[in-house]
Amino acid sequence: MAENKKLDRRDFIQKGARITLGASLAGIGIAAATKASAEKYVWQIDPFKCTQCGRCATDCVKNPSAVKCVHAYDLCGYCDLCGGYFKPGANKLETGAENQLCPTAAIERRFIEEPYFEFIIDEELCIGCGKCVKGCGAFGNGSLHLQIRHDLCDNCNECAIARVCPSDAISRIPASQAYIIKGNFTETQES
Amino acid sequence: MSKKGLSILIVAIIVVIIGIIIIDFIGNNALNRGGNPYEYNVDEYKEVDPSLIHYKETKNIALGDIIPRGMDIFKGDIYITGENFLKVIGIHGVQKLNISLEESGICVLARDEFIIAGLEQEVLIFDHMGKLINSWKPDTETTYITSLAILNNILFVADAGNRRVLKYTTEGNYLGEFEGKSESDDQHGFIIPSPHFDMVVNEFDELWIVNPGKHAIENYNEKGELRGFWASSSMNIEGFTGCCNPAEIAVLSNGSFVTSEKGMVRIKIYSQSGELESVVAAPEKFQEEGTAPDVKVDENDVVYALDFDRKLIRVFEKKLSE
Repeated sequence: MAENKKLDRRDFIQKGARITLGASLAGIGIAAATKASAEKYVWQIDPFKCTQCGRCATDCVKNPSAVKCVHAYDLCGYCDLCGGYFKPGANKLETGAENQLCPTAAIERRFIEEPYFEFIIDEELCIGCGKCVKGCGAFGNGSLHLQIRHDLCDNCNECAIARVCPSDAISRIPASQAYIIKGNFTETQES
Repeated sequence: MSKKGLSILIVAIIVVIIGIIIIDFIGNNALNRGGNPYEYNVDEYKEVDPSLIHYKETKNIALGDIIPRGMDIFKGDIYITGENFLKVIGIHGVQKLNISLEESGICVLARDEFIIAGLEQEVLIFDHMGKLINSWKPDTETTYITSLAILNNILFVADAGNRRVLKYTTEGNYLGEFEGKSESDDQHGFIIPSPHFDMVVNEFDELWIVNPGKHAIENYNEKGELRGFWASSSMNIEGFTGCCNPAEIAVLSNGSFVTSEKGMVRIKIYSQSGELESVVAAPEKFQEEGTAPDVKVDENDVVYALDFDRKLIRVFEKKLSE
């Protein structure tokens, strides 16, 4: 007849501690392995869904917003009369502040050759309001569009802009494809 | 604190928390937020004086589940091309001919002897039974054909991709090309920021070509020499707005132009020298930020607009009082 072996308190505590420690280590190991193999996700704007509601400028936890206007140069018409640069009914097609659409003058208009102009975004000044994007889309080729800049974004668990975006244009995408750029500008750069 | 008092306090805290959640939810609801402080507003330019509108929409023809790209009106029939088709439709909407295309048709031109379809990079000529007579491709990969016109048996092909107009015989023999540059440097040449590059031949055998980047309509002879032009830039109803307008044109029997604009979609009539005569359809008639309708005119000066957004051919006739 087998003798029932009684655990004393010390053995019980020692065994319990070993099991707890083992389970914890196993858990950490599994978590680390999962994290190492899982792809990281980041927030990004789908420019084809974006309606330029202005909330990227007003609702981002960063000030100024981590959303910036980007320019797909291969789509741009390099127009003299740029709908993204000049406000409706501008007095003259020149760089006077009264003619500019951007509330922070974040777009530089640079002469190339008659009658073509290049438009360059100054990201330091851009607040991501999307006003130029709307003008470009309405009256131009839609080469200006908004993107979340990942060097500025905190990648919050719940994006404050995504929460209020009326067109559900912001979602998490794999960090390996962190930008949704219009045109084939990025492909051209890579090639 | 008594048990009852504690219960009341807990219930009150729960009510407050629920209230905060509801207020936060409503506050963040897209429909209940204030207006956009950065709104791009062109509403004031969409208003059109009703006395300027001399046309009314009298009919429309639904195109069904097809993707139209271009249209022509010839001898009472509507010629329409688009995603892999070229169709001939009677004025009452009955289909008379359907030709399958391997690629998308962009523009179409009908004459007594043939129907010409412009694909992105190819010209196809069919007889009126739908049989392919001839076809050819321009020489460059960046060609994007947007319009066709015939003057003195020369077929003019507008190539938006290369900012040029090509000239061919109807058998496909290349006769030359021009880029709209004049010796006196009055005009820079064709400036085509987007694939809208239209042209038309009027009743007086004049070739008029849109230079959309200059908001101009230019007259060329068959050699491709600039004879004259007019231009009109403005957000107001008197002019053309945006990067590249007018996107489409047609001509009335008296030589006046019917123009169709993108961005702020509107159809207007201009005299041959560029004065605004009247409005056919104000922006309110079209989808906001929609595509510029292709416009054509029949022998009675009735204006046909191919509304790409609503997939309709919309017919506008002059009001009887005008």
